[in-house]
Amino acid sequence: MMDIFEKVKELAAKDYNEYLDAMKHDGRKIIGYFCSYVPEEIIHAAGFVPYRMRAVAGSGTAKGDIYFSALNCTFVRNCFNKVMEGDFHFLDGIVFMNGCDHTRRLYDNWRHADMAPDFRYMFVAPHLVNDLAMDQFTTEIHNFKGAVEEHFGVTIDNKKISESIGLYNRKRKLLADIYDLRKGRNVPVKGSEILALLLCVTAMPVENAIELLESFIQGCRDRVVSRPDDLRIFFSSGCIEEIGHMELIEDCGAVIVADNICLGSRHFNLPVDESAEPIRALAVRYLSHLSCPRMMNDFHKRLAYIEEMKKEYAVDAIIAEKLKFCDLWGGELFIYRKDAVKKKFPILALERELYGGGQGQIRTRVQAFFEQVRNKKSTADDLVRASGDNYKVNL
Amino acid sequence: MAAENRVKKLKPLKMLKLTRLLLYLVYFFSKVPRLATVLLYILRPLYVPVRENFLNRKLRYGLLTVGAGLLSPDVFKAYGYGAKAVIENINDVIRSVKKDKPVIWVEWILNPEMLEAFDVTSFNSALLNVFGNVYGAAGPWSLIEEAENYGVPLEYCSAMKLDMGAYVLGQIPKPAMTIAGSHPCDTNVSITQSFEYLLEVPSFIFDVPYWRDEYSYEYFEKQVWKQIEFLEKHLDRKIDWDKLTDMLNRLNKFNYYLSEICEMNRAIPCPGTHINLLFAWVVREINVRSPYALKMAEAMYKAIHRNYVKGKGVVKKEKIRILLWFPPIAFFTYLFKWMEEEYGAVVVADFIGNVSTVDIDTSSKESMIRDFAKTQMHLAMGRQCHGPVEFITDEMEAAIEAYNVDCMIFTGHQGCKHGWAAVKIIQDICRERKLPTLYLSIDIMDQRHLDEAGVRNEVTEFFRSHGWI
Repeated sequence: MMDIFEKVKELAAKDYNEYLDAMKHDGRKIIGYFCSYVPEEIIHAAGFVPYRMRAVAGSGTAKGDIYFSALNCTFVRNCFNKVMEGDFHFLDGIVFMNGCDHTRRLYDNWRHADMAPDFRYMFVAPHLVNDLAMDQFTTEIHNFKGAVEEHFGVTIDNKKISESIGLYNRKRKLLADIYDLRKGRNVPVKGSEILALLLCVTAMPVENAIELLESFIQGCRDRVVSRPDDLRIFFSSGCIEEIGHMELIEDCGAVIVADNICLGSRHFNLPVDESAEPIRALAVRYLSHLSCPRMMNDFHKRLAYIEEMKKEYAVDAIIAEKLKFCDLWGGELFIYRKDAVKKKFPILALERELYGGGQGQIRTRVQAFFEQVRNKKSTADDLVRASGDNYKVNL
Repeated sequence: MAAENRVKKLKPLKMLKLTRLLLYLVYFFSKVPRLATVLLYILRPLYVPVRENFLNRKLRYGLLTVGAGLLSPDVFKAYGYGAKAVIENINDVIRSVKKDKPVIWVEWILNPEMLEAFDVTSFNSALLNVFGNVYGAAGPWSLIEEAENYGVPLEYCSAMKLDMGAYVLGQIPKPAMTIAGSHPCDTNVSITQSFEYLLEVPSFIFDVPYWRDEYSYEYFEKQVWKQIEFLEKHLDRKIDWDKLTDMLNRLNKFNYYLSEICEMNRAIPCPGTHINLLFAWVVREINVRSPYALKMAEAMYKAIHRNYVKGKGVVKKEKIRILLWFPPIAFFTYLFKWMEEEYGAVVVADFIGNVSTVDIDTSSKESMIRDFAKTQMHLAMGRQCHGPVEFITDEMEAAIEAYNVDCMIFTGHQGCKHGWAAVKIIQDICRERKLPTLYLSIDIMDQRHLDEAGVRNEVTEFFRSHGWI
């Protein structure tokens, strides 16, 4: 019989699964969404299933490239290719977000190509975390709720939202518990397995996700996947969904113990306050959670988070990645590298294309980096490498 | 000698000082505009047909930008006022640096008017994006290389890389605080944070709304009030409302003149050319606070109005009317006059020069801030780039209709990812309208991608392929 880890891995490799299929047969609608800032609870409270958009099981970028240029990121190109191929036939609605320039234009090109579904909502999140932005964000969640209600003829009352918040908080708690398991010396679950898990739980009803997570925790009992000499890695990146990529890194002699990625900590960091007015509470959680570099006044918090993780998870080194042509993560890596020099902490900055291959090169770089870390050659700038080059960072 | 070495030898603020020197030349020559235009024309053999060389390196860009003797004397005079406005700002900055007084960076799509009400020096950190060219073609690209060597992502918009390069090389002053915004693109969002990390000074950031409706205007307006609080706190002084009122009254006039020029340019033949409006945009960004900025706008308006009344075009025989869409080519500002002279092709409308804003009601503090917020959101580049693609394409289609254009030149800038992601939509619109369009793949700041000669070739072949020349 397939164990929970194999089941998760198999589910993660699909863009559509039996859970979603069962929902479709029950007449439940599936709403795709693009970013960690979109409150899933509103979709769930409407009686629908939120589905995190992905390029898993795609066939390349050929059709996406008709609409996007080679200077656009491979996530949107892969994703839009799937749109053009009709891979998202099961979606009843799609929620975009002004996450970055590439995804902004995903909204525009989707409308221009007039591809299904016909509910296409641009969810706008502020670029700042402050009181004014919080008010604006609260209004946006109200607007989003109104748009869902109007389009689908449903009512989303506070009671339903509160119930959804309860369920999603449970999911967040379970994910946090799984992360906690990696704090110890013997790590029961790899980073690549966590990524697979996140891919699963963002593509199924939350009720099923909770069951799956509980089984996953059971499966982690008495399990050790780390080797005694494995390096403990903090992994930071924007869009990543290639489990094989993380396996490659871990196979070089490491275990990823903590992260700041979309399908990782950012998905569950910070619960929603269940005692507060639900929509405001959602706004507070979604705007204040561990941010991505699109949030302009929050990088100090992101750096502080790394420091916290380094201590809590006994991190040996950082691997930070970006997709090619991603300005936001490019800038973030710039700050990470400068900060790593200041703090004399080893960091490897990598650049890749989504499903872009190049495993050989990546393996060589990761192996060389790990070797340096192991050899304790931790002079300030030896260990700081920019993506694709080998110059020293001058402060 | 490698370009970077030449620039690395520069003393702090040297490029800024060289810019000032050249602008002084323009200003002094603009006192005798007829003589100046004749001189510029006579000297053309030294810089127009020939490429940049050892002899003309420091002057060629400036001479071409002021029209190479092809601007009318009255427009040249207006450029002189514009030059003076920029000189005043550079003088202020250099004085402030010497006296250790605060200099505040104001991002390139947020005008510095508010700082007039605090009597503090403002500086547009992107000033060398355009004026870096006065150091020769190597000026911008060596700043770009410096930024890349410093670790800035290669794929950033080169305009922002120039800022970082200029900062690293000490060619722009270190600010006491910064004012920035979340538009028009990810590079701006990202580099603002990098600067914040490096500078460690207080910063005020505008969260520019995605939409442009009343709710969005209100959100931005509230932020302007917050900006005032921020400045009062960090400068330890109160806002001078009289000064702000005076500034915004001047801004209203400034905007009026430029929007009138835009309207007049709809006439056939076109009485002006959009390089004037682009020059005005640069002056506005750097120092609309100066009374000389208003003088420039007024002089430009009068000069073009004279042509308009007489039914006179900027070229004797107007053959091709062009819509230039997307940011103009900073290193090849002479493109406009070259197309006019060579082919009778006039840029009648463009992405940046087009002024479309609201009149500020200065009758009360509240109305002033409300409308000022709107003017900030309506500044070119920010106006089109912060929201859905319709903010770009609706304005483009309106220009195609209003200006009777024969063709469009799309300046596809390498660093502009959202622009490239909109190209298919733009292509489909132009195809449907049967509008011939040239899609340039270019870096508007860095001519190593496609240089001046390359642009000339592509434009010439485009015109030729449509049988216009």
